[in-house]
Amino acid sequence: MTTVVEHPASVAGLYQYHDVIGLLSAGGPGFSGPVSLALGPDGLLHVASRANPNQPEAVRVTRCTVQGDYVGEFCGWGDAPGQFIWVTAIAFGPDGNLYLADENTHRISTFTAEGEFLGHWGEFGSDFGQMNRPSGMAFAPDGTLVIADSWNHRIQRFTMDGSPLHAWGAHGKGSGQFDMPWGVAVDPDGAVYVSDWRNDRVQKFEADGRLLAEFDGGSAGDGFSRPNGLAVHGDHIYVCDWWNDRVQVLDADGQVIDTLIGHSGTSKWARTFLDANPDIEEKLNNATQNIELKRRFYRPTAVTVSDNGLVFVADCYRHRVQIYRKL
Amino acid sequence: MDGYAVPVIAGRYDMMTFDPANLEPTDGRAKRGERSFSSQYLRILPGEEMHVDSQRALMAHLLRRAGFGATPAELDTYCGWGYDATVEWLLYPEAQPALDEDIIERYYIDWKESRNIEGALTETVYRMNCNASARPLQEKIALFWHGVFATGLAKVLHEKTMLNQVDLFRQQGLGNFEELLRRLARDPAMIFWLDNNFNHKNAINENWGRELLELFSMGVGMDGHANYTEDDVQEAARAFTGWTIDDDNVASIPYGKTPWLFRYDLEDHDAGLKTFLGETGNFDGDDIIEIICRQPSTARFVSRHLYNFFVADDVQVPAWQTTPPADPAAIAALEAEYFRSGYDIRSMLRLMFTSDFFKSESARFARVKSPAEVVVGTLHLVGDFKLPKVGFMATALECRYMNQDLLNPPSVEGWHTGKEWIDSGSMVERINFVADNLGDANHPGVRTMVDALLDRHPDATGIVDDCLELLGSVVLREDNRNALVAQAEQALDAGADTEEVILNALRMIGSTREYQFA
Repeated sequence: MTTVVEHPASVAGLYQYHDVIGLLSAGGPGFSGPVSLALGPDGLLHVASRANPNQPEAVRVTRCTVQGDYVGEFCGWGDAPGQFIWVTAIAFGPDGNLYLADENTHRISTFTAEGEFLGHWGEFGSDFGQMNRPSGMAFAPDGTLVIADSWNHRIQRFTMDGSPLHAWGAHGKGSGQFDMPWGVAVDPDGAVYVSDWRNDRVQKFEADGRLLAEFDGGSAGDGFSRPNGLAVHGDHIYVCDWWNDRVQVLDADGQVIDTLIGHSGTSKWARTFLDANPDIEEKLNNATQNIELKRRFYRPTAVTVSDNGLVFVADCYRHRVQIYRKL
Repeated sequence: MDGYAVPVIAGRYDMMTFDPANLEPTDGRAKRGERSFSSQYLRILPGEEMHVDSQRALMAHLLRRAGFGATPAELDTYCGWGYDATVEWLLYPEAQPALDEDIIERYYIDWKESRNIEGALTETVYRMNCNASARPLQEKIALFWHGVFATGLAKVLHEKTMLNQVDLFRQQGLGNFEELLRRLARDPAMIFWLDNNFNHKNAINENWGRELLELFSMGVGMDGHANYTEDDVQEAARAFTGWTIDDDNVASIPYGKTPWLFRYDLEDHDAGLKTFLGETGNFDGDDIIEIICRQPSTARFVSRHLYNFFVADDVQVPAWQTTPPADPAAIAALEAEYFRSGYDIRSMLRLMFTSDFFKSESARFARVKSPAEVVVGTLHLVGDFKLPKVGFMATALECRYMNQDLLNPPSVEGWHTGKEWIDSGSMVERINFVADNLGDANHPGVRTMVDALLDRHPDATGIVDDCLELLGSVVLREDNRNALVAQAEQALDAGADTEEVILNALRMIGSTREYQFA
């Protein structure tokens, strides 16, 4: 009945591994392919599980404490009101409600933090205000919602009730253009950061869409590879470097100042499972060649940072959330 | 390369925008747009007697065998290149850009791991469908070797390991057969499947050694005699002692699965003298494979398998010891090429695809389509699921319903082929699947075919004959064709919508006996 207590440091030593929450499960305590996470006004961590395509019952939003105590979940795979199919992002609005993007139904659904369905908006298309596979989402300081309209290769800004306000970007590789953008973050000044997924870069824009900077995430050959989840906290920018299986921490100028690679131990939920299944634990302990592999990130997909400097990373293929503490 | 230019896709392959019209040969002998779908198609003028374009029909035959069929637009492109250039293009799939794994992985979460058999099945069928345009033979050869080296998730229970084995067939399936066997002998899925992880220096397990000889290389016998003895089996097993795997954990919980890894345990290897097929030495597994590949029986075994899969249905493998090949001259030519080329599968296939025995009219529609060919061929033709969307698992499962549970063969002998694919249940599944898809104008491939026909204002005969042509120069028995024409005529006379008549003709052709043959 031991939980790993070691706290290894990040590559540059600015962060320290803190804890892990997770377990592969189709319901109850655990996640199945977590793709997005958000801290609610109640302080609870909300984690959206996308699940693999043949396990629709595992698609859900799980609620738990940041210490890993399971609180509940809400779910319902489908396209009826209040249901979702391909959840891709969740974000809390200034109204305290949870906004959820579904890139199969091309709409945004709203829930209370407890999961009560409130309504939805959005429709498929390429006209202004329409969406084709909405992906990353973030609220701006003015309460507007910024969405990566992925297959339209643009960013759109909406009011909380879905009225379109502004759109920018087009398909391409040039500055200010996009190729299937995914992650979005907005800093306290209203600047918008976009993971320009297939162009392997992050672009920073003024609130009105004017390009401010492009970040490639490293030196030649070691830059971003399909970046997705983004967060901005203080003067640090956090980028899930998806295909490189790492989280890059950038300074305000876009320079990489640290790298998180994953140091997962055994979560509370995993501990409970393994205590009940000692044969599996024995097998795992004998799998000596894979010990390091199992601790590392495997397709980190989303990141968020709490006010007290805890960095939560959705470690998608390992069905867990790894937590780092800023030192 | 034998002097042929290998066509390549112009520019960067992008599944978001891929268009077969962008396929170009490197030597410029066919120009893009030279024979576009519409120009090719419109050579058949309203009222003109339908005739089969012999080059187009031959090309459709080639693509049904070396791939999963071809769309009308693709056939236009291939006909522009010419037959021999198309064969070369098929033989070098690695020269074509790979799939956009990033896009698939983004939308099909867990694509890389596939934590259950349905997930792995989905991955396999989706990959076949997406590669049917740019790398058809790579997928077809992987399917071929999966049937020969039949390994199954019913025992292996580690989906990614099984998928890695199929990927080995993609990467090495057209290459040197000896190297393929060497890599297969180190494949964790195969080691687990045939218990070589229990094959120890002081307690051999002969399962892998036996199947290597019986089902994977030489066969029990040929021309009425046995190819090896029980002693050979035991000695082969001794040579593979210590070839094992690490981390054979199959649990997904708590954090997903981790890879299985090949490991050579020197301490557990029997390094003593062995006598195998009349040769004596301190053989290890690679030595055994080297000796196997020199045997005429191996040339025969590989040739008959290739013939059965790509040319015409043969009797089932257990009968090969006593039943001679249906076409001895064709098998002899393939055996000779096996040795001439140094066991090169690509060379054997080149000889096959350019041979008279492959091109002949008697070889056309001489094989019952496997379920994978039915499902993927139909999906490719109608253009469905070329980009990730919800619902693919149900489609992938159709292979299972039609009696081919990919990644989970009925035994190490693989699937019996030919007419054994067919029973009343699988036949109903086949017809319903094909008819449902060919009759759905929401599919982009069907929409294109329907629009092309509507532009020509065809009569009943034109509708049926042109649908046959668009579906890959399908040839129906005369009475079947006449029945379809009569039905279309009756519908048109009754004032039916022309589009509906076309869609019904497509459905009906997909329901015919002839459509079940490749």
